[in-house]
Amino acid sequence: MNIRPMQEATFLILTALATGSQHGYGIISEVAEISGGRVRLRAGTLYTALDRLRADELIEVDREEVVDNRLRRYYRLTPEGGRRLAAEAARLQANANAALKRLNPALGVI
Amino acid sequence: MTDTTSAPTSSDLERGYRRLIACYPRSFRKDNEEEILTVLLATAEEGRRRPSLSESADLIKGALRMRMGLSRTPRTVLYAVRLMYLGAVAQLAVLITVILTAGHIRAAVQTAMAAYHNPAVTAQVMHAVNIDLVVDKVVIPALIVVWLFMAWANGKGYDWARVAAISIFGLSCAGLVIDLAQGTAKYAPAALIGSGVVWVIGLAAVVLILQKQSGPYYVRRPATR
Repeated sequence: MNIRPMQEATFLILTALATGSQHGYGIISEVAEISGGRVRLRAGTLYTALDRLRADELIEVDREEVVDNRLRRYYRLTPEGGRRLAAEAARLQANANAALKRLNPALGVI
Repeated sequence: MTDTTSAPTSSDLERGYRRLIACYPRSFRKDNEEEILTVLLATAEEGRRRPSLSESADLIKGALRMRMGLSRTPRTVLYAVRLMYLGAVAQLAVLITVILTAGHIRAAVQTAMAAYHNPAVTAQVMHAVNIDLVVDKVVIPALIVVWLFMAWANGKGYDWARVAAISIFGLSCAGLVIDLAQGTAKYAPAALIGSGVVWVIGLAAVVLILQKQSGPYYVRRPATR
């Protein structure tokens, strides 16, 4: 069965975890930074996505910490999560390259 | 956004968030409540005393998805569940078709039987057709309930639901063959096309729940969530 393209939020969450484990707030901050402030994940959306990604075994819990009496759970990519992210990034890059290649000669863009 | 290291407060805001998080399934809350609360408080605007409308909507939406068993569901199972709901709709369309075309079906059979010039046999066949139509009006609504129940149970990841869905699909194959053998294609083509569509939906759903990605969901999440 073909793997469908990822939703942008999923792609950005996995990208946020690509450099190392992050806790929920860290993921929200990273996603905002990666997307240039365009995507601001809300907690409900984030935890629904994290729950699904854990079920799909694309991410897993790395460790838990208690800071100021509050639980922080760190998530990390699984090897399969890394593979899926790489495949999706390659797919997006190929599409972007194709678009840019066509735009350059036609419109003198870039 | 405030810093995550700020001291925890038992404020109106926290109580508001806890009330919203209470909408989530207990199993999810047990594992995630404090963590979500930490993130909510960390991302709350300075001075806010109640959850914003958009935050509340986001949390309620997430809770509903989980209550419907859709958030942790692998995509293969998710699509299978959606197909099962679609199957219920298609089955309803078949029921409506059967009801609307019952007169045409009787007329078509009557016309075909007239060629045999045997009123006794014609009466027997018409009696059988009438019984068939009554049975359809009882069985098809039951099948709609079965589709909905299978969608719910497979969405929950019950292992028996997968076995049941595959078995029911097997029975539907036999039903379709019987329909064809009874000449449904000739006398009730619209209903048969509908049944064919329902069969294709069932086939797609069964293929999806048999996918490799679907397996762990059923194994790991048997009876409770």
